[in-house]
Amino acid sequence: MNFIHCFRSEWLKKKNSAASWLMLIGGFFIPLIILIARMTDIDMLYRENTSLHVWEIISNRCWQFMAVFLLPMGVILAGSLITQLEFKNNTWKQVHATPQSLSVLFFAKLSVIVVMMLQFFVLFNIGIYLAGVVPSFLFRGIPYPQESIPFVAMLKLNMEFFIDCLPVIALQYLISLQFRNFLVPVGVGLALLVASMIAVSWKYAYIVPYAYCMLDFMNNRNNPSVPGTPVHTWAFAYFMVFTGLSYILYIRKKEKG
Amino acid sequence: MNCIETKNLGYRFSESQTVLSSIHLQVPEGSIYGFLGPNGAGKTTTLKLILGLLKKQEGSISVFNTPFDANRIEILKKVGSLIESPSLYGHLSAADNLEILRRIYRCPKERIAEVLEIVGLSGTGTKKARQFSLGMKQRLSIAVALLHNPPLLILDEPTNGLDPNGIIEIRELLRNLNNTYKTTIVISSHLLSEIEKIVSHVGILNRGVLLFQGTLQELQLKQAVSSGIRFGTSDPKKALSLLLEKGVKAELENSEIVLHTSSRETAAEMNALLVHNNISVFQMSPEKNDLESIFIDLTKN
Repeated sequence: MNFIHCFRSEWLKKKNSAASWLMLIGGFFIPLIILIARMTDIDMLYRENTSLHVWEIISNRCWQFMAVFLLPMGVILAGSLITQLEFKNNTWKQVHATPQSLSVLFFAKLSVIVVMMLQFFVLFNIGIYLAGVVPSFLFRGIPYPQESIPFVAMLKLNMEFFIDCLPVIALQYLISLQFRNFLVPVGVGLALLVASMIAVSWKYAYIVPYAYCMLDFMNNRNNPSVPGTPVHTWAFAYFMVFTGLSYILYIRKKEKG
Repeated sequence: MNCIETKNLGYRFSESQTVLSSIHLQVPEGSIYGFLGPNGAGKTTTLKLILGLLKKQEGSISVFNTPFDANRIEILKKVGSLIESPSLYGHLSAADNLEILRRIYRCPKERIAEVLEIVGLSGTGTKKARQFSLGMKQRLSIAVALLHNPPLLILDEPTNGLDPNGIIEIRELLRNLNNTYKTTIVISSHLLSEIEKIVSHVGILNRGVLLFQGTLQELQLKQAVSSGIRFGTSDPKKALSLLLEKGVKAELENSEIVLHTSSRETAAEMNALLVHNNISVFQMSPEKNDLESIFIDLTKN
């Protein structure tokens, strides 16, 4: 019960914040570009919308850009922005003077980021859907996509990418809780993301915590260079380790405001 | 009964930097306790320790007669606080800032409008807190502290940034809360003049040491004892013995006589006595002895 009250309180803090706008704009950004790109080639648009794999084509195209850079980048920014709200507004002391256990506070804040990411995935999928159907309303002769939406496959795909994001969420959360300066979590996040991009073709790339979205898309879907690598297991394990470490550091902090 | 009690409270940032040493703070229930000290005296550190914002190193803290460590959540339910500068979410309105805390304290929704009315911020609507003036931010922070109607308020320099009218309003508000709801209020300041009009008890802290603690009357008594008239004379030693012979309380300080009386008649009489005994009196001045001077003297020494 305390957790729910705390979560509701934390959820309100993101209203009108940069992180919430980032989620909204970021969710629709790639689908909008894909939609515009599709509408510039009417022949291709016709072929795709009459294809029995139209949703795979659009979804793959959207995820290609999202998974490689924008998704991890968005997670880095959103996770850091949400946590840094307290530093930026000098509100840690107020938060820690409220009658809430530190554990509830820690997990409520983390949950806000996780739920925000889920919200982002929902918006992104709505965007994919709109990228598929909007041309049929705008152009005469372009049919509504012939294939029915493959809900189960898309849900599975989303679930996998979501798990791939978890280590990034947890590590960004850990760093953002420890450093007042917003540039530290963002800088570390970007550095790790670039390192992951370099390491993605390495045979041990699966040990790099920020590489899973890329690995998942590039290796497992298009060109599985390391077949059978349990990317999601690694991602989840990293998430648990980073969360545990973050919790210990947070609880043991000497100054709480 | 004491609402807050600390015993041997100590804190150091490092081995060489002691911030507080052996503080025995006693805030009686229902009092308005003025916590005074110059900047850097350790007031905020003490208040942060009481609220659990700093990890305690030495001593013990009891609030509402229960140890803080073991009852943190139960105690914080009954405490409203404002520590240092305002703690507000700049991207949210005043009502949203209060709603964040209302969801935790689980008080009725109407309370938001009530506290905004109390601090004079009812008309702010959807205006974001970052667009507020410092005074408005300070008022909103006080509204945050009042939201759940706590029996104990801890306010660290709450009148910072307020204009004279704002200071008077806040002073009135605190006095009313204390009178009507018997709210215990701890209010810190580096200016005695700012809070002497409302406090019932005073604690004076300097360089981490509690120099004085007691009622305002006790402090005023200290003031009365130290009040007097200063005489500059041609022969201070002879003058002092003459005055003492007359049974007047006087002492020699920096080659001047300090006569411990506030009576102008006695001063005139003693002046005549000195002149009559061929001692030239070339200066008579009242000893500066208001509460502010006592505070400055205490903290200077």
